[in-house]
Amino acid sequence: MLLSALSVIIYACAGTQSIAVKHPVEVTGLPVCSECHTDYRAAMNHTDDFYTRHKLHAAQGKGKCLVCHKESFCSDCHANIEELKPSDKYKDSPQLLLPHRGDYVNQHKIDGRINPAKCFTCHGRSNNERCKVCHR
Amino acid sequence: MISFLTAFPLISSAANVTGKSRTYVQSRETAGGSNLLPLYEYLNFSVQNLGSETISLHFGGWGRYDLMDKSFGDDNYRSEVQYLYLSFRGETGNTIVNLGRIMVFEGVAAERADGIYARTDLPGNFGVSAYYGAPVETGIGRLGSNSVYGGRLSHQSADIYQIGVSYLKEERDNSELREEEGIDLWLHPINKVDIVGKSVYNSDTSGWREHTYNLILSPIEKLRLTTEASWINYEDYFTGATLSAFSFQPSALNRRERVFILGEDAALSLSDTVKVSVDYKEYNYVIASGARYYGGALKYAVAEAGEAGLTIHRMDGDTDRHKYMEYRIYGLKKINKMDIALDLMAVSYDSPISGEDNAYSASMIAGYNLTEKLRMGADIMYGKNPDFDEDVRVFFKAIYSFDFGSGEGV
Repeated sequence: MLLSALSVIIYACAGTQSIAVKHPVEVTGLPVCSECHTDYRAAMNHTDDFYTRHKLHAAQGKGKCLVCHKESFCSDCHANIEELKPSDKYKDSPQLLLPHRGDYVNQHKIDGRINPAKCFTCHGRSNNERCKVCHR
Repeated sequence: MISFLTAFPLISSAANVTGKSRTYVQSRETAGGSNLLPLYEYLNFSVQNLGSETISLHFGGWGRYDLMDKSFGDDNYRSEVQYLYLSFRGETGNTIVNLGRIMVFEGVAAERADGIYARTDLPGNFGVSAYYGAPVETGIGRLGSNSVYGGRLSHQSADIYQIGVSYLKEERDNSELREEEGIDLWLHPINKVDIVGKSVYNSDTSGWREHTYNLILSPIEKLRLTTEASWINYEDYFTGATLSAFSFQPSALNRRERVFILGEDAALSLSDTVKVSVDYKEYNYVIASGARYYGGALKYAVAEAGEAGLTIHRMDGDTDRHKYMEYRIYGLKKINKMDIALDLMAVSYDSPISGEDNAYSASMIAGYNLTEKLRMGADIMYGKNPDFDEDVRVFFKAIYSFDFGSGEGV
């Protein structure tokens, strides 16, 4: 925290312009960022594969995500305690690649064997009370 | 909501409040025969310009009340604060200080904590962030005896690369639970080529827990090729879990297992509205036999009018249980203020599971925008699978967006 406090004190030295709080142009649908941007944002086109790699972009700071998304958008999936599946809340957007669609009680036994790390991200240390009904 | 705001006299007349109230009711039956009818209220809002243009307040949380049988445990109600923090945001330097229940995504950290987070740019294209707090995780959370802290130092050239090194330490009851270091990378060496990924080292087990990298190529405007390479070491990855499913035991995970995942996803836009894609992913384990998941998709989308998609995939795993075909077809049509959708999914197992050769679900969805700010919707799902002879779920939703104040907030 000392490092952080020191950084805040000297931040003015950086002289960089802060990223916009809100995207200046309303974005509808799944955005193709490269239509306008040529820097790091161009790699964030929300193509189908972005669903599996968005964590890698978020790991480099979620500030760029919050230009378009509210924090609640992240919390709908990445929660400490969450009882409703994202695919239930957003069932009216079937084009979104959301986990746990349809019958997932049986399917999770297969997915959990194939790649348990994918489950661990959201359910390893949090949001696993429903899991504990069986996995005591 | 109103009473909450009146409790904050510091909110200036220039404050701007935006948020959303989402009310859900879900009807379903559990495998044990309980009839559930929980009512959920999800509320999130932000108060911008809180006495100063650089200060804002953010809240997100939900509450549940069971109208019929109890959903979980002994109580028929529950609530959860997902995030609640005061934020200072500088006009320059990307300086941010968040205080409260925060979410941190910085390198190795993907944490929720009750504490403080700060970041800023530094001279020379460097950036630095740090955080400290009580981890908000299942089953723990006593401030003082449990803590999570860490930080990230990054360097970037906005057009070419960003590289970060990060550190995280979590202590539970004053003993070390996790200690991780990581490297994260985004690289844009030449036009139409991007590499993004991260490597995470587990200091507790003295081993690399994960290397995950994606190579994204766009050789022509309408073609995208994404290659994924991921290496996971189970012993170093599944530490500090609060769920028995991730404990090392013969019936769950083998401590000595490692997996190398290699995947390719190719998508081609045939026109402005039609896109076709194929994908292949191979799982190579050190101990278990390998598995392959591959298939394709055809999608049709017209902006503001609707979308439709067809996907077919094959899972070819090491056991009969891990061999199946997967089909999905969906369609969404928007008609003025109304939208309707159909979503059909089916899985055909090579060998029966619990006597069932197939699992399927069919969902019909409808929504209507009563006003610009109020949307109502409902859906019904019918399913049949190895766990349910008949699974019927009904879901209602009402979503209200609000925005009041001066509208001059940052």
